[in-house]
Amino acid sequence: MLSMHAIKVEKLDKKFGDFKALDGMDLVVRKGEVYGLLGPNGAGKTTAIKVLTGLLKKTSGDAEVLGVTIPNKDITQKIGYMPQETALYIGLTVHQNLEFFGKLFGMDKAKILERETELLKFIDLEKWRDELVANLSGGMKHRVSLACALIHEPEVLFLDEPTVGVDPELRVSFWNFFSKLKEKGITILITTHYMDEASHCDRVGFMRSGKLIAEGEPQAMLKEAGATSLEDAFLFFARRDRT
Amino acid sequence: MNIKRALAVSRRVFMDLKNDKRTLALIIIAPLFAMGIFGLAFSGQISGVNVIVVNDDMGMATPMGQVYLSEIVINNLDPDTLSITTMDDVASAVAEIENGNAYAVFYFPANFTNVTILAYNQMTEASTSVDIHIDMSNVNVAEAIMQAFNDAVQTTMQQRGLEMPVTIDRQAVYGQNASFMDFFVPGIMAFVVYILTTLLTLINFVGERTSGTLARLTATPLRESEIVAGYAMTFSIVGTLQALLLLTVGMLVFGVNVEGNVGLAFMVVALLAIVCQALGILLSSITHREAQAIQLIPFIIMPGFLLSGVFWPLEALPLWLRPFSYLVPPSYAIDACRSVMLRGWGLEMIWTDVVALIVFAAVFLVLAVLSLKRRG
Repeated sequence: MLSMHAIKVEKLDKKFGDFKALDGMDLVVRKGEVYGLLGPNGAGKTTAIKVLTGLLKKTSGDAEVLGVTIPNKDITQKIGYMPQETALYIGLTVHQNLEFFGKLFGMDKAKILERETELLKFIDLEKWRDELVANLSGGMKHRVSLACALIHEPEVLFLDEPTVGVDPELRVSFWNFFSKLKEKGITILITTHYMDEASHCDRVGFMRSGKLIAEGEPQAMLKEAGATSLEDAFLFFARRDRT
Repeated sequence: MNIKRALAVSRRVFMDLKNDKRTLALIIIAPLFAMGIFGLAFSGQISGVNVIVVNDDMGMATPMGQVYLSEIVINNLDPDTLSITTMDDVASAVAEIENGNAYAVFYFPANFTNVTILAYNQMTEASTSVDIHIDMSNVNVAEAIMQAFNDAVQTTMQQRGLEMPVTIDRQAVYGQNASFMDFFVPGIMAFVVYILTTLLTLINFVGERTSGTLARLTATPLRESEIVAGYAMTFSIVGTLQALLLLTVGMLVFGVNVEGNVGLAFMVVALLAIVCQALGILLSSITHREAQAIQLIPFIIMPGFLLSGVFWPLEALPLWLRPFSYLVPPSYAIDACRSVMLRGWGLEMIWTDVVALIVFAAVFLVLAVLSLKRRG
């Protein structure tokens, strides 16, 4: 099915017992854009990503990825997911991790090797190919984690707080990675609570109490809020939402 | 179910085990350690038990000279089991038991030879006895002492031509010349695979849950059944290799004999490994951290230890406890392996055990897949 939307979410609810982690969330992410989901801890960003990647079951509402209603196992072939935790097999080498995830997506050996060479160059870890992940630094693990999410050339990439606990230098290089991925036409949905980073996104959406309270291009958001930083802008929209 | 993805999981688990030298060592050394320690400890004879002989026997004059039956009995006491010293009076000998220096005192009265021979020839109504003072606080040692004494008396009677009217003629249907290790190795093969497979899967899978890799797998085309199948492939192979290793060392070091088809025994072990890896995955679903998994270990080991029949025969359990052994999967594997390797039985004889294991495997595999499918 052809669609202009990479991700489309309508009135999405997710309850844990009585707690509403998502409360009537609406969201549209266009194909090829980098969309930043912003908000404080507990706003529902991670829950939204987990529902969209099939890790959690939605309670009600509609959610589509690339025009397919999720959860759907077939769509996993086209999505990449980088969880908050490093989520790698630390007893395996960098190569073995990439190979394993490649195989899960049905890639043959030659294709995996080709992608691996590309990706290791991309994340600048060529020399570490045969090192156990356990022996890598935290930042290196993050980069390997990103490579694992990209091994099968996904069309949509879900990045859950990819820059948490990452040093400033690596954060800058991560955003460089992301903009290169965007150039290749990959849609990226990224969550972060580092508001300053969001200026790299095409559009940002502010989340609060399980729903989107405002969205737009970063510059437009600043203008509307009359703020100089996205942090102030968030506070402005949060106040407006409360009243 | 996509076999390629299941194979990828299987290979991934293999590499995890292979890359981690400590786990690899555990897989190889733990079975041998278990066989060596348990095998030697349980097969050990009781020996060197301190006993004291007090002999007042006056003997009996016969045409062949003075005869002392007591001396003959004492000479027939097994010198490996008993370490014998002599003393002159019973009171001080018994004091040695009270001090913990000896386990038993054998007292032969003055008329021992005289009355025994007269009574045997029906020349007297009188009877005589050997007084045995014994420390019964250690049941096994006490039994060994009594056994040694009975044996010595019987041997003496035979030597003197004082034969019992009844003889017992034992004909082994199975296990003629079977040693303790012949009996023990088939059991420990299955037991070790039960413990190690369950623990390794449990630990490995708790790792998948805590590190976030399991969540990551959910966002790939990999299906829950393929995860379980992949683990099952790896651990059935690892289990079979462990059994092979145990049997090889058992044969080379302990001279273990095998009657039946070893391949059949390995098949049973592989089946048990599949049951146990599913159990490990299932158990991991009720734990959230490694620390909680460790708390489960006694609940895995103790029932297997006590109820599977590996060390004590099931016939030694109280009647009400015996049915519980049917709930412990290694019971079937141990029974099957012993029947195959000691009695030379084939599949047509052990099929009930095999069917029980298949049922366990089917139920646990389905439950393991369902436990993975459960989402928040």
